[in-house]
Amino acid sequence: MKIRTVIAGNIAFLMLATAGLQAADQMITYSAKPGSKMRIEGTANILHPTWQIESPIIGGMIAVGPGFPTEPGQAVTPGKIEASGKVFISVRSLKSVESDGKPFSDRMDEVTYEHLKETQFRTINYKLTELTLKEVPKTKDAPYVFDSVGDLTIAGVTNTIKMQVNILPVVDPKQKGLEITGSTTVKMTDYKVEIVDINLGVGHIKTGDEVKLVFKWLLVQRKAPAAAAAK
Amino acid sequence: MSENESEALGYNRRDFLRGGSVATLMAMMGGVELFAQTNEAPAAAIKPPTIKIKVAVVGLGAWGREILGTLGRMPQAELPIDAEIAAICDTYKPFLRRGASAAPAATQTEDYKTILDNKDIKAVVIATPTPSHKEVALAALKAGKHVYCEAPLAGSIEDAREIALAAKAAKHLAFQAGLQMRSDKQRLFLLPFVRTGALGKTVLARSQWHKKTSWRATSPNPEQEKALNWRLNKATSLGLIGEIGIHPIDQAGWFMNTLPTAVTGFGSVNFWKDDRDVPDTVQAVFEFPGDVRMIYGATLANSFDGEYEMLYGSDAAIMMRESRAWMFKEVDSPLLGWEVYATKLKVFNETGIALVAGASKPPPVDAKGQPIQPDPLTTTPLFYSLNNFLLNAAELTKAAEDYKAAFGEDDVDGLMEEVGKTAKKIRRAFAGYLEGFQAAVTAVKANEAILTGKRIELKPEWYELK
Repeated sequence: MKIRTVIAGNIAFLMLATAGLQAADQMITYSAKPGSKMRIEGTANILHPTWQIESPIIGGMIAVGPGFPTEPGQAVTPGKIEASGKVFISVRSLKSVESDGKPFSDRMDEVTYEHLKETQFRTINYKLTELTLKEVPKTKDAPYVFDSVGDLTIAGVTNTIKMQVNILPVVDPKQKGLEITGSTTVKMTDYKVEIVDINLGVGHIKTGDEVKLVFKWLLVQRKAPAAAAAK
Repeated sequence: MSENESEALGYNRRDFLRGGSVATLMAMMGGVELFAQTNEAPAAAIKPPTIKIKVAVVGLGAWGREILGTLGRMPQAELPIDAEIAAICDTYKPFLRRGASAAPAATQTEDYKTILDNKDIKAVVIATPTPSHKEVALAALKAGKHVYCEAPLAGSIEDAREIALAAKAAKHLAFQAGLQMRSDKQRLFLLPFVRTGALGKTVLARSQWHKKTSWRATSPNPEQEKALNWRLNKATSLGLIGEIGIHPIDQAGWFMNTLPTAVTGFGSVNFWKDDRDVPDTVQAVFEFPGDVRMIYGATLANSFDGEYEMLYGSDAAIMMRESRAWMFKEVDSPLLGWEVYATKLKVFNETGIALVAGASKPPPVDAKGQPIQPDPLTTTPLFYSLNNFLLNAAELTKAAEDYKAAFGEDDVDGLMEEVGKTAKKIRRAFAGYLEGFQAAVTAVKANEAILTGKRIELKPEWYELK
């Protein structure tokens, strides 16, 4: 009796594990590649009514399941897609820039790092929890439109955010990839990041609470380890 | 790193007039007025996060120990850099011992290669005798270290070119030539002042370095004697013009945003008649575009009037001594306005107007509201130069770490490309590989002019880094 129970248990476990492996097999993983850009735009009250900081490096990966378009113009059905992902940006890689992208101020950078508590929380993190295909593009070079849900962590504080993202599958001669673009607005006080309200040499600066996050994230499709080993 | 810092700091009269450089205008006019109008807390109220970086110093002669002392003072200056002197190196044990007293926690070594093997050490300051700069600099760059190489970069144009080209190729690394004037806060304050024509037409530059000293190090034995006193041998030394004069000569060209076109030199052993063959007294005339000449004089036989640099224009002259500067105006020069409020200094029958960097900002105050006097040793050109180097090095180190964290360590080309983009955006003032190379070209040819007593035309192509 006991033996039968153990065998039955093991079979059930193996079936579950196999199902899990099959699901994992169907997941496609994309990893970050160079060429991305994160831009944070805000407002202030002085000579520069708007300010912006940028990072050229967005790290991380996403894994997507069946139904996710991997090639431009691929026929897929709108709806929820199995997906997970982790994104990170080093706080110190954020640099203040003029509106045309030229470097702005080292001092401004220092203020940014201090307010984002860089010594304690070195990265801004995002964890993707839900991805739903909303619109299929009408042309091959247009992106697929998704609704996403995820947890954004800034300065150690996490909030769930919803954001529309555009995903364009990219196929070059060497490899498949993705270009993900999007933007969202967050309130810095929701992340317990104090509004910059200081006196600098150029005068009194007080920034607005809302900031806009705009990003272009480039990824490349990774081969499964087993497949890679087989080669 | 930036190929030509002069371009990055390319002030001109048009910029000044159209008000593009508002901060400069405010700084120049402003000290008094801004101070009077504002009662705001100083910017120092914000303490930025500190960046830590491990650095090694190779070469512990007198200047190497000065560098050690300066690095050791950085934590006291409350700057966002925490430089840990992780290792010191010299092949001469007594120098190593003396260096250890300034950096007791540092690992001591007689072989610089052990420093290059240490992955935790990110930056190397090279203060060895000039002939060995090339070997150490090339090896350090190859090992992925950020490099601060004392000026002159090398004793020959070929060696200087090799170093500069290696630095140019290593675009993900900070390379800084030890032309510290280019990082000095006081001189950076003067730069737009000169470039925007506040002196009128620049007509003449003059600089001197007078010191009563043998320039000879005491040696325990004849073998060490030659190595220690490499400066006194013309086979290994560019003499006073190359070891000392290189700084004000480079500075003159930097201020005028140009390079010398010819040099005539004179030199002789006038006083220290030992076995040296390097002149103890030199003079050189550098010709710049626009019929502007710079006269440089240096002697080891007399200390009167020490060292200073002058720049003369049709409206005013500027005198620079260490980290201070004064302007002497002509009676027919236009009134700038702000000078009415400035501090004055009487020099014989002339009135010098103090030109002080940071005068437009209220001084930092202590808890009782009393002004805090900065440590004079943390306001030297060397201090600013090393500080900027370490900040640049730390920034690029961080950018490289970010890249590796995001994309792995395999894509070395991608890393160099991406971190190189960060390097190009660095705005701190410093002398890069091109400035270091060009200063070395001038120094080598000026020394040649001094030793031969000839006028040498400095061809523009000599300054090109190919």
